[in-house]
Parts: sequence; C-alpha cells; structure tokens
Amino acid sequence: MIPEFSVFLQLFVDTLGFWWIIIPATILGVVVGAIPGFSAANTIIILLPITLAMEPATGMMFMVALYTSSRLGAGIPAILVNIPGTAGAAATPLDGYPMAISGRSQQALAISFTSSVAAGLITTVAAILLIPWLSQVAFHLHSVEMIVVMLFGISLIATISAEDKIKGLIAGFFGLMIGYIGADVVYEAPRGSFGFLELYDKVPLIPALVGLFAISEAFVVIERSTILSKEGEIDQQEAGWGPTFEGIRDTLIHWKEVIWTSLLGLVIGVIPGAGAAIASFVAYQQSRLMSKTPELYGTGHIPGLIAPESANNGVTSGTLIPLLIIGVPGGATAAIMAVVLEYHGVNFGPDLFDTEPMIAYGSFTAMLVTYVLLGFMILPLTRYFSHVMVVPTVYMAPILIAFTLVGSFVPRAYVFDMGVAIIFGIIGYIARRTGYHVAAILIGVILGPLLENYFLRALRISQGDLGVLFSSNIGNVLWLLLLLSLVAPGLKRFFKQSKSKNMPTNPD
Amino acid sequence: MNNESQQKPRNILPDCIIPAMAFAFTVYYLTTITEVPWISQASAIVVSGLLLLSILAFVIRSVWRIRQHQETLQLKGAFHHLLGYAPISLKRVALLLLAIAYVWLIDSLGFTLTTFIFVFLGIVLLSSLSNWKNALIVSLSCSIIGYIVFIYFFKTRFPTGPIEDWLKGIM
Repeated sequence: MIPEFSVFLQLFVDTLGFWWIIIPATILGVVVGAIPGFSAANTIIILLPITLAMEPATGMMFMVALYTSSRLGAGIPAILVNIPGTAGAAATPLDGYPMAISGRSQQALAISFTSSVAAGLITTVAAILLIPWLSQVAFHLHSVEMIVVMLFGISLIATISAEDKIKGLIAGFFGLMIGYIGADVVYEAPRGSFGFLELYDKVPLIPALVGLFAISEAFVVIERSTILSKEGEIDQQEAGWGPTFEGIRDTLIHWKEVIWTSLLGLVIGVIPGAGAAIASFVAYQQSRLMSKTPELYGTGHIPGLIAPESANNGVTSGTLIPLLIIGVPGGATAAIMAVVLEYHGVNFGPDLFDTEPMIAYGSFTAMLVTYVLLGFMILPLTRYFSHVMVVPTVYMAPILIAFTLVGSFVPRAYVFDMGVAIIFGIIGYIARRTGYHVAAILIGVILGPLLENYFLRALRISQGDLGVLFSSNIGNVLWLLLLLSLVAPGLKRFFKQSKSKNMPTNPD
Repeated sequence: MNNESQQKPRNILPDCIIPAMAFAFTVYYLTTITEVPWISQASAIVVSGLLLLSILAFVIRSVWRIRQHQETLQLKGAFHHLLGYAPISLKRVALLLLAIAYVWLIDSLGFTLTTFIFVFLGIVLLSSLSNWKNALIVSLSCSIIGYIVFIYFFKTRFPTGPIEDWLKGIM
C-alpha cells in the first residue's frame, strides 16, 4: 500500500496542478476556522452543491485543503482573543493567550503557524508511510478501550487546573454532567434536559464553546482599554518583524516537541470519534508531564503552545485513514467527505489506493501542498493579525458578542442555541472570576456524551456487569498507562524532593 | 506580627457559586434518571458521585480554612468581587441585558438590523453617548460586512428579517 517514491513524487506534482482549487479553499479554510461556529464541516455542507458538481478528485482536493487550513485558522482567535475557532483549538489559549496579553501575540502566532505547518507536513508523510499499521488501530479499539481513552481525556482536568485541583475537578465533572444532558443513545430516555426538546440531542458544542470562551471573555475584558496588559502595549508598539522570526526559531528549537506531539495527534486522529479536542489536551498534558518546568505551563510557556497546535494539526491526516481504508470517518468533516465520495460512487477500502490513487494518496498530497502554501501565505500575516490586540475593548466586546452568538446559531439554525451560549457565557464568567478553569468545563462537555456512549455500549454487551471494563488486554494496558500518568507527577515530585534533601548543604 | 497574620481572610462566597450550581444540577439530574434502566443510569451515577465527592472535598477544605482564619464566608464584598465596582459592574449587567435582547429580537428583526442596533448600543454603553459617530460607523460596517460575507456570499443560515427579505427582493 506504500507508494514508491517516484509514484509519490508524480502524485505530488499532479496535485500541484489543482492549485486553482487548493488556493481558494486554503484561504476560505483559514477564515472559517478562525470564526467560532463556522467549522470546516459546516462550510463543506454549505458548499455541497459546488463540491458535488466537481470531479471526485477535485472535490476531495477542495475539501481536504479547506479542512486542513481551518485547523490552522482556529488557533488565531484562540491566541489573540482567547476564543478558539473550533473545539480542536481549545487548549491553544492556555499558553497562547497569556503570551498575547504580555505583548507577544506576533511571536505566539508565528509559533502556532510554524508548529502547525511542521506538524501537518510530518504527520502527512507519516500517515502515507504508516497507513497499513495505522488502519489497524480503529479495529482494535472497542467500547472498553475507548472508555479508558476518554478517561485519559478527563485526567487532563486536574492538569489544566494545577493551581487548585479541587476547583479543577469540580469544573471538569460539572462539565461532564452537563455533557450527559439529553437522551441516551440506547434507550433514548431524556435526562436533565429541563423539558427542552432542543436539548434531547445533547448540549450543542459550539454554543458551549462560544459561551465559555467568547461571551465570558467579552464581559471580563471590558474593564481594560485593550486586551493587552500595560507592559504588553509597549512591547506591541515596538514590535517589527523580529517576533515572527523569533517565533519560527522558537518552534525549530523545540523540534522534538513538534514531532512527538504531532505523531500523538496522528494516532488519536485515527481513532474514530476521539477528535482534535482530545488530541490537543492529551498532548498538552503529556508535554507538561515530561517537562522539566511544568510550573511554567499556563503562563505563556512556548512548549505549552506548540504541543496542542502540533497535535491539533496531526489529527487532520489521521482522520482520513479509517475513512479511506475501512469507510469509517474519524470525525465530522471526514464524515461529510464520505458522503460526497459515496455520491460519486467511490468504494472505500484498501483497493481504493490502486483504483483511485488520485483520491486515496491525492488526499494526503493535497494536505502536503496546502501546508506548504500555508507556510508561505500565513507567516507574513502574523504582524498584521496581531494588530487585533490593540482594538479598544469598547468596540471589540460588542462585536465579539454579536458575531459569536450568531456563530452559535449556524450549526443547527436554532435561536435556542444562542440562549444556550448566553447561559454558558454566564457560567464561564462566574468561573473565570472565581478561579475555575473554563477549559476544564469544556473538556467535560465534549467528553460527557462520548464517555456515556461507550459506557452504555460496554454495559449493554456485559448485561450491566461493570467487570467488563477490565475484560480486554489492550484495555488493561491502557488502564495501567492511565494509572501511571496519574501517579507520575506525584512520584516525580517525591523523587525531586528526596533528591534535594539528600544533597549536601553548603556550609556557607 | 508577621505578614501572614496581617493578611485579610479571603471571602470565598463567590467561589461557592459554581459548586452550588453543580450540586443543584446534579441533584436535579439524578431525579430525572430514576425511571430509566440501570445501564442508562450507571455512567451518570459514577460521574455524579465523583462530582459530589469533589464538592465535599471543597466544603471540608473551606471549613478548615475558615477555622484557620485564612478564608471567610460573607455577603459583604462578594458582589464587587464578582462583578467589579461601579460603573463597570453596571456596564456588565447592561451588556448582558443587551445580549439577551439581541437573542430575543434576532428571530423577528434578522441578523443585519439586530446586529446594527446591538453593536451601536453596546459601544455607546461601554464608552459614552458622545462616541455615537464612531459607534454608528462601526455598527453599520459590521452589519453590512456581515450581510455581504455571510448571507450574500456564503449563504450561511443566519436569522433573516425585513432587511434581508427586502435585499433579497431587489438583488
């Protein structure tokens, strides 16, 4: 299934011939990725009449380029105004926004773009080379294993809220409970929906994201004249092109971080349903766990920005693998791609790589071309994007509220969802003012329905026996890894303390 | 006297809002699953148990800290801690009411008109009435650009009203 280099090179050159469709899709992708609510999936749905009219390979190039660039675009508002464009970028503000507030927005954007492009290129090549093995991942992960994967995600709650773990756990579990609102997938019994029919289909994710991050942030920032801190305003005014080059250099220095977090994103992307949000938070947690300076995470620490951005972009190529090999889409956008390709009569499976190489391999070469284009197109824009930071909050807050509220309307076209965004805005505002992390609540809301679905499936198979959770070998290994990742920080601290105690004291 | 003993105890009443909300919601949620089968209850019972345990840990810690005079629980100052001092607190409440009105009106007035009104009033509220010219330019630009980009070009499913219907008729 792995193509020879000459074949791959030929495919790459052929893909360059689709520049006329890839360039507009790339620009559109960055724009829609940067606007909360306007995900790549929604945009592809809106543009379905155009995509369906294209040749299958052309349509696939268009969708892949749009999808790829939207991942990168989602990081822009996350860094500049603390509002992730999509859930996949929800971990980006943890360190990106503190950098921006301190006047390093241009550097942060350059780090985000460089790590995204590098991660995208690395994982796309890795995906092509590892397709036969990566395609097996989805086969081996069933409901029990997925429960542990979800619990890995939940263990991040404590990591994010390092300052006050109890508050972090309350926020995270509260988010999980909110995620449990609605009808369950097996019995369709509505739970905790306050009688609203609109909540039977679970709490909509985009309004939750908009409320927790955008609306609450708009209410917080109005006490300042701009988003920037006092020192940040001075640094921002003095900035030339230097911070962009500094950001590129910082990313290249942390090349190991880029490689392993992007590969982590690739593997998580292969798991159907896991998604970019889990990948970016898992990468953030693991990066912090392995760091020699974990206390710097959350303060504008460069690896804390590189890890989620690399993982977020690593997911992109991963989601295509189960789609192309077994016809199971790895995420929402991949599901829409499946619909378009099925409309054209394309049959998924390993044979696709022989019968339609321009669709199968072409999807990955389109990603490569898109990332190369993005590298040239978007890095020079960092200086201009960063000017958003100096817009006075008296203008920014009402505009943010209006556009993000409408963004929460778009996915389901319910005005009700705008009300949901306001409710989450109030919860998010109270959380911010009282030291509860909004990202922990959001992780809960994202993971709640997923965890519950896998839980339900596992218990249904075992007829209600909780012992099923420890019935699989892969699952048990994952349980062990989960346990290790939970106790590792404590053990690390213990050994560090005992080491410093054993150090001979200086008589001076 | 050392610095620690001079420190004023921190008022944690605002910090109790999220746990109180979480507790109330969890109790309500549990009442809605009494009739559903065990398989459907199991996951929620596990998670709600973990949440209630976390809240209990928060309560025990707070009681201990209040006894140590590190924290206090009182109404005085809690409002300011949460909303800030006037005029910012009043502006926050007014902006929230404006946002609620925006959601309430958008279904009948449509995106373009409601956004214009909301952004204009929002800017005037946060700055001053003397800033009305800038507010007018910004709000007009937002609603026009929003219409052209999202409704006209992207055909996005935005709420429509009289302005959108009229423009659809003449274009």
